[in-house]
Amino acid sequence: MALTVLICDDSLLARNQLKKSLPADFDASIVTASNGLEALAILRSTEIGLVFLDLTMPELDGVGVLEAIKAEAMDCLVIVVSADIQPEMQKRVMDLGALAFVRKPASAEKLAEVMHKYGLI
Amino acid sequence: MQIAGLLQPLLAQLNSGVLVLDAEYRLVFINQFIARRANLVLAEVQGQLLFDVFTDLPRAWLQRKLDSVQELQIPAFSNWEQRQYIFKLPHLRPLSTGSQYMAQNCSIMPLSSADNNAGYICILIEDATDAFVYQQQLHNSMQQLEQANRIDGLTGIFNRRYWQQQLQLELQRATRYQHPLSLLLFDLDKFKQLNDTYGHQGGDAVLMSVSQQIATLLRDTDIFGRYGGEEFGVILPETALSGAMMVANRVCQAIASQTVSYNQQHIAVTLSIGVASFTGQSVDELIQQTDIALYNAKRQGRNCVRAYASEQNYLKKVN
Amino acid sequence: MTTLYFTEEQRDCLQELVNVAMGQASDKLARYLDTLVHLQVPAIALVETEQLPEHFARRYPQHNASLISLGFFGDQGLRGETIMLYQLENVGVIAQLLGYDDDDSSEAEMLTDISSVLTTTFLNGLAEQLENSFSYAAPRILSSRDQHFVQKLADTASQWQLALQVDIRYQLIDYSFNCDMMLLVPGEAVLQLRQMLNKVLAGF
Repeated sequence: MALTVLICDDSLLARNQLKKSLPADFDASIVTASNGLEALAILRSTEIGLVFLDLTMPELDGVGVLEAIKAEAMDCLVIVVSADIQPEMQKRVMDLGALAFVRKPASAEKLAEVMHKYGLI
Repeated sequence: MQIAGLLQPLLAQLNSGVLVLDAEYRLVFINQFIARRANLVLAEVQGQLLFDVFTDLPRAWLQRKLDSVQELQIPAFSNWEQRQYIFKLPHLRPLSTGSQYMAQNCSIMPLSSADNNAGYICILIEDATDAFVYQQQLHNSMQQLEQANRIDGLTGIFNRRYWQQQLQLELQRATRYQHPLSLLLFDLDKFKQLNDTYGHQGGDAVLMSVSQQIATLLRDTDIFGRYGGEEFGVILPETALSGAMMVANRVCQAIASQTVSYNQQHIAVTLSIGVASFTGQSVDELIQQTDIALYNAKRQGRNCVRAYASEQNYLKKVN
Repeated sequence: MTTLYFTEEQRDCLQELVNVAMGQASDKLARYLDTLVHLQVPAIALVETEQLPEHFARRYPQHNASLISLGFFGDQGLRGETIMLYQLENVGVIAQLLGYDDDDSSEAEMLTDISSVLTTTFLNGLAEQLENSFSYAAPRILSSRDQHFVQKLADTASQWQLALQVDIRYQLIDYSFNCDMMLLVPGEAVLQLRQMLNKVLAGF
């Protein structure tokens, strides 16, 4: 069964960048959201296996999404892809249950490495 | 063409100072601009710590700047308006400025060479002495202008506008701190006649001489101004009526006891002085009361001092 | 002037570049200043410079703000100016932040120092993503306590016909301090910037 992946970022460029950077052999259908609230609506209505989550976003930011995922015990993996690379922020999202932190702009190699590490490809 | 070969001569002729430091802040290079002004030889200081070679740098301040440049890989700046100089170097305008050291604009930049990743730092020093000198001149002119704005051209004492402003301020101060204040207004006796006899230049000479003489009799805190043609005023802060009367009598006697020399002639001058003290009146009321006392002195024979008393109001009508 | 517009794609692209540059800058700052810097989504707009003073008058209704300008120049005609705005109550906090409480640095010096740190870290990140590099002019204080900054801004803005305005808010979590940065890019440099953005977009 193909995985459904959610890419959540307020920037179209960043979403496209990420889509193009995913490994070619990664068999998944992709949905996108442009802010945290949209992401939560999709997460609540669709079975999502993996989320690529930006942090700095309007409406609801990535930290808010992570908190909701934790509070509602949603069953999905989250890889944070963010420009906010401060050590404290990285620690904070990992504490909230994120699987990994990838700095923006995310390179194909880095994504492949992380996904391989967690058995996603 | 090899541009690299030209860089050394260019740096030598550059009219700005260039210092290059390594990551430990040891001198790697100084150009001729710095070497000559600081009286150093590159070969002798190369490899030495910046702060050992230039011992009078603002050390804590510069250290912090250098640290931020190295850590963040961003430039840092300092300009002469905020910090006149960083390196104590002589400048080339020794005659036209009172400043001993070269005013400087300073840029501190991260520098990395292609062959070596170790972070170097370049300090660029630009001579801003000319700008500094112009600003000093401007500042002086502004001060002179401000001074000129409050001085009476003929006598060199305060003009009426400034004197009245000061009276307002002194009155506010006296009110706030409940301190005494007195006012003198005086007038040269028969000045019109004097002008007719000696001419306007003679009259002017008398006004100048009299104001100079009176100025020497006053305290630094007294405020002496020319109120009108031959009318003068003195604000006496911290002075009650009795003290003011003493000052007025001293002025009156001093002027009467001397003559003014003009064109080999000796002109006798006398004054009539009115005195009033501040008891909560407005500026206009205080001036009016002092004026009444002055008219009273005139009426009672001139060359004398009279204090204002409230029952003297009716004398206002007398000229 | 009618040729100066951004497509939604270009705007989005720039916004993302600004985001990443801010991320890099705040990471450096957080390490340097030892505090967490809070990032907000920057607002990007092409504005008539005439509107700038009004915009800031609304945003800073009090008069006691300081403006520090820092000019930059890159390759291919890209150039601009950043203006940082501080509330003056913050000056003490800045001193504490920079470790300036122990010497004779003036208020003006502290403001220009923090400005050049905040803006050049950000601009270096932006330049890198555009495959450019910037050189910087020394920061200048445009206004201080005694001058009304909106008037100052109006005087400055008159030299720019049209500008790209990027409002960035820096907030330092451990200190009650924030300041705004405005990035102004003049008309002809906006055209250059657009081409650079197209190049970035073409890569994806």
